[in-house]
Amino acid sequence: MSDYIIEMKNITKRFPGIVANDDVSIRIKKGEIFALLGENGAGKSTLMSILGGMYEPDEGEVYIRGEKVQISSPTHAAKLNIGMVHQHFKLVSDYTITENIILGVEPIKKFAGLFPYVDIRNANRKIEELSKNFGLEVDPTKKISDLTVSMQQRVEILKVLYREAEILIFDEPTAVLTPQETDFLLGIIDGLRNGGKTIILITHKLDEIKKIADRCAVLNKGKLVEVLDVKETSTKKMAQLMVGREVNLESDKAPAVFKEEVLKVEHLTVKNEDGFEVVKDVSFTIKSGEIFAIAGVADNGQVEIADAIAGLTKVSGGRIFLNGMDITNESIRKRTEYGISYIPEDRQSFGLVLDFDISTNLALKQYYREPFARKGILNKEEFEQVGTKLIDKYDIRSGQGIKTQVRSMSGGNQQKTIIAREIELQSPLMIFVQPTRGVDIGAIENIHKMMIQERDQGKAILLVSLELEEIMNVADTIGVIYNGQLQKIASSESLTTNEVGEYMMGAKHEQR
Amino acid sequence: MDTVIIDGLSFALPLFIIAIGGIYSEKSGITNLALEGFQGFGAFIGALSAVLIANVSGTEIQNLFYVALLFSMLGGMVFSIIHAVLSIKFKADQVISGVVINILALALTTFLTAQINAFVFGTASDKFQLGVSDRFTIEGLANIPVIGAVFTNVYPFEVIIIVIAFFAWYLLYKTKFGMRLRASGENPHSVDAAGVNVSKIRFSAVLISGLLAGLGGMCFAYSISANFSSNIYMGYGFLAIAALIFGNWRILPTLAACLLFGFAKSGGAFIAQSMALPSSFTDLFMILPYVLTLLLLIFFSKSNRAPRALGEIYDKGKR
Repeated sequence: MSDYIIEMKNITKRFPGIVANDDVSIRIKKGEIFALLGENGAGKSTLMSILGGMYEPDEGEVYIRGEKVQISSPTHAAKLNIGMVHQHFKLVSDYTITENIILGVEPIKKFAGLFPYVDIRNANRKIEELSKNFGLEVDPTKKISDLTVSMQQRVEILKVLYREAEILIFDEPTAVLTPQETDFLLGIIDGLRNGGKTIILITHKLDEIKKIADRCAVLNKGKLVEVLDVKETSTKKMAQLMVGREVNLESDKAPAVFKEEVLKVEHLTVKNEDGFEVVKDVSFTIKSGEIFAIAGVADNGQVEIADAIAGLTKVSGGRIFLNGMDITNESIRKRTEYGISYIPEDRQSFGLVLDFDISTNLALKQYYREPFARKGILNKEEFEQVGTKLIDKYDIRSGQGIKTQVRSMSGGNQQKTIIAREIELQSPLMIFVQPTRGVDIGAIENIHKMMIQERDQGKAILLVSLELEEIMNVADTIGVIYNGQLQKIASSESLTTNEVGEYMMGAKHEQR
Repeated sequence: MDTVIIDGLSFALPLFIIAIGGIYSEKSGITNLALEGFQGFGAFIGALSAVLIANVSGTEIQNLFYVALLFSMLGGMVFSIIHAVLSIKFKADQVISGVVINILALALTTFLTAQINAFVFGTASDKFQLGVSDRFTIEGLANIPVIGAVFTNVYPFEVIIIVIAFFAWYLLYKTKFGMRLRASGENPHSVDAAGVNVSKIRFSAVLISGLLAGLGGMCFAYSISANFSSNIYMGYGFLAIAALIFGNWRILPTLAACLLFGFAKSGGAFIAQSMALPSSFTDLFMILPYVLTLLLLIFFSKSNRAPRALGEIYDKGKR
């Protein structure tokens, strides 16, 4: 029997066109927290999917507790006491916590010795006990639809614990959490380790690794770069290994120079489809040369604010002024023409027509006017010329140049396409909603640079982001939203990350 | 007044069992517009087997009621395999599959009925004569004012339907099969992640819907129409779909909706009769359940919620 609970030897996994894992070997000790670090597409998730039974490797061997295994399915993995906490929760929102957890492994009792039924009561008790043992603090009889994201994640953790997992794989667990929730989760993970579980943590957040991991494997483009002892390695070194070059995520930017007021929002109120007020009496202004960021936990009304300004949502109260002009009830096209650029959160549904090629997508907001169209007839040549120019200028990478279907491009390049189009509008106001979501670290750096460049050229920028780090990095002014209300507006220098986190949770209040 | 209750119940309960079939299919995530075809085809197989057996053995066809029921369930189930295979295995559009199955059932059974009558029995007829099933009355209980009508002139199938409905509720809400079935209609990915085969669950759900719809169709054939012919395709399947939508995909509220339709129908007939209107006006009153459907749609469409993954083709790779 070896000291290692998991050994993956010379794993290679190919997908059409790419090698996701290239001869990767790692060994994990029982009872440690082992981190897998790498950019999007580095092969972390693929490697763990092999362990979780979702994929089988093309080459290489897997040993669990010293025995060679071929993990053929997630069920098989569960039998080997391996459990995966997915990034995308797989929960039935209509079911209670207990019902979700026992799905597939339902405890059965018999009524009158004849009719089998699912023994919910017993399961409730068992889950309550598990939850207490590991400090998860959940009430098993609650419905999933009533839970916060962080609670739902704990349900996913309980799911694998209920199946008696000894090895727990966490796939980017903190991507959806606030700083406070992240700390709580890291506490839970630490507690699991102390309870004798082995933890594998997939992440690209260095500070988390520094905080709790024992060892860390760095992957880059499918290859294992190095396995590090976390205590003896600086975060800077880790970042360097991960990207393969020096990175600077702390964007250096010149001090902001605010000029005239571009956007003024007065007592804005927005109702959702059910008539519920999701934005309540919000007021703020953005000046030329200012990046104004709205920080907040998902679904607290920040996206609705951006949509209301861009004209995608109806306003039920308050006014919106652009350069002193009341645009509260203007159409979207009018707003665009008056000077609003909008980079939407859901780039595939609202930002692009996926089955059109790049050049058409780049012209989506101007196709109807000169020089793209003359007397209502489209001028294809102009599309191609502009397209070619912009692909070059913004470094949009694609298989077949301007003729590439946008659907086939990577998320980062899709985002670049939208940003290129919106910047070219030369609007005085630019709205970015979650601009770096799902793009890798190199592209993030690039997008931040472009935002700051636009700011320096005198644009007013509204940034809505769930990534607190991004906001602290880029913003000049921060407005923190909770439950549809702005809790605090202050310059970014005057706030610490923790303070912003507290306002985000509604823990702190301040009336302006 | 009693006839309104008696006829209302005998119409509502077959409708109810068809609707339960629909609930099973839709709760598992498969849109089922094929109920109309299932009930018709089930009734066809049931009627055909009854007619054949009566012919061979010389038994009175009314006494073959239970045999017919059994075969109708089998027939409905076998026919529903088409919908299951198309929409689960071949990932076809479930709405189109359902509509096509309805057209197929009507055409196929009409054709076959005429052909079998001509070549097997040597008669030129487009129907299988069945008669009306025997009824019973529970003495004592039947004497209670108003409610007594519930126990008067009861078709045996009404009792069978109630028993099956109760079992259907138990299966759907108390067993692990039911739990997995409902989860498949809400979030099939969670079911898959739990190591359960989503396709299998949905397949069984569609078969159950065919079985129950076939039963319902047979009951109609043995009561209000007293024969099998293309008249069985009167839109009962669609009415059942309306009932289960008003019932919010839950069994008890769906029963309430079915009862409403049943009493609207029998009430309409009663009014038409008591006003002694010419028969062309009676037809006008027969549209009452359908008018009611339209009105109810306005009120219920907003608050009711379909299973989240209803009609979505399940693709393992997609998140």
